[in-house]
Amino acid sequence: MLEKQQRETTWMRPPDGGPPKEVPADPAQLVPLMVAGWSQCEPPQQPDREEEN
Amino acid sequence: MANIRELLIGFGKKKQADISTANVTSDIWRLNKLNVQLANPKFMAEDDAAELGKGHEFATQLFKSHVDSAAHQLEKYLSSEFAAWLWAFGLGKVVKTGAGPYTYTCTPLNPVTDGLELPYFSYIEQIRPGAARVLDRMLVGCAVKSWKINITKGVGRANAKATVEFTHSGAITDPSGITLPAATAENLLNAYSAAITILGVDYVSLKNFESLEMGWDNAFREGFFPGSGQQDGFQIQGRLEVGDRVPLFNFVARFVNGSTELQKMRDLTTGTAVVTLTKDANNSLSVTWQQVGFSVVEVGETDGIVTVSVTGKPQYNATNGVVSAVCVTPVDGIAQ
Repeated sequence: MLEKQQRETTWMRPPDGGPPKEVPADPAQLVPLMVAGWSQCEPPQQPDREEEN
Repeated sequence: MANIRELLIGFGKKKQADISTANVTSDIWRLNKLNVQLANPKFMAEDDAAELGKGHEFATQLFKSHVDSAAHQLEKYLSSEFAAWLWAFGLGKVVKTGAGPYTYTCTPLNPVTDGLELPYFSYIEQIRPGAARVLDRMLVGCAVKSWKINITKGVGRANAKATVEFTHSGAITDPSGITLPAATAENLLNAYSAAITILGVDYVSLKNFESLEMGWDNAFREGFFPGSGQQDGFQIQGRLEVGDRVPLFNFVARFVNGSTELQKMRDLTTGTAVVTLTKDANNSLSVTWQQVGFSVVEVGETDGIVTVSVTGKPQYNATNGVVSAVCVTPVDGIAQ
């Protein structure tokens, strides 16, 4: 399921350096973002959960 | 004596870190090509013939100048692997998705946000590499200046071909130090699989398509600047920047009762042009020219059949830009 999810989405970062956004890996959605200056990026790091005592 | 058919070529499947950092062996793939021309770097010298004080008009000595930026050609049958490379390196912007096969969605650089430099690659030529080498050199800092894809009627691999012209910074590693891998087995995208719809007309269903030529010229700006660098005392280019880019989209189709090309030209009709070549689910190329009009339409003949020759004018669409390509191939890491 996780693998399927990874295949179907990717992460894109806006040109203004704002937070990345997960978008469907669909050219119809990717192309307007790419034209607008968005670039592919790594998924953001998930913050580590503090262990409860 | 060496036979030109011994020539091996390899080039960066992955992009260089920057214009001066060569690809390493693991970045390189080896593909065959069709054209016999070698990618000769042209070292240029100048002389003192025009200088005063010598008493005559003749040269008395030579001076090292620069490495000329002449474009080198790479001609190939179209495959899904090479198509992905061509579009990614030729347009500059790529998003890779999938876990095998991989989908590369490619668009031209947005100069405002992406800068003016395309991804760079190294290009290797070898004839009998090793101790008895005839030729073994690596051109570092190459970028795709222009490319064309031709799809024509007829049989065999030649009905879908790609030609790439690339420009070289001038930096050379000789010998290359690269051991080329085995040639990549390519998945050909022959024209028999074509789907072609232009401004709403499905030319494949009508069975009247003759040929198509599409391409792109990055019109590089010269990259010699103070501090651009040198190779053995000859100045090299420190950047290869896109200039006023020129898209190309022309086609020829049979002209029959009901053909709309002439009327569309007079009406200045625009629309999308979508060209798709498919081998199977793992190998395909789909190109979308986002807004095309016809600038010249001429009725003539091809092999005795009345045809219409259309010079397309790709335009910039505010949402989707000029052109995009979706390339599906089993090869990972292209232009990454």
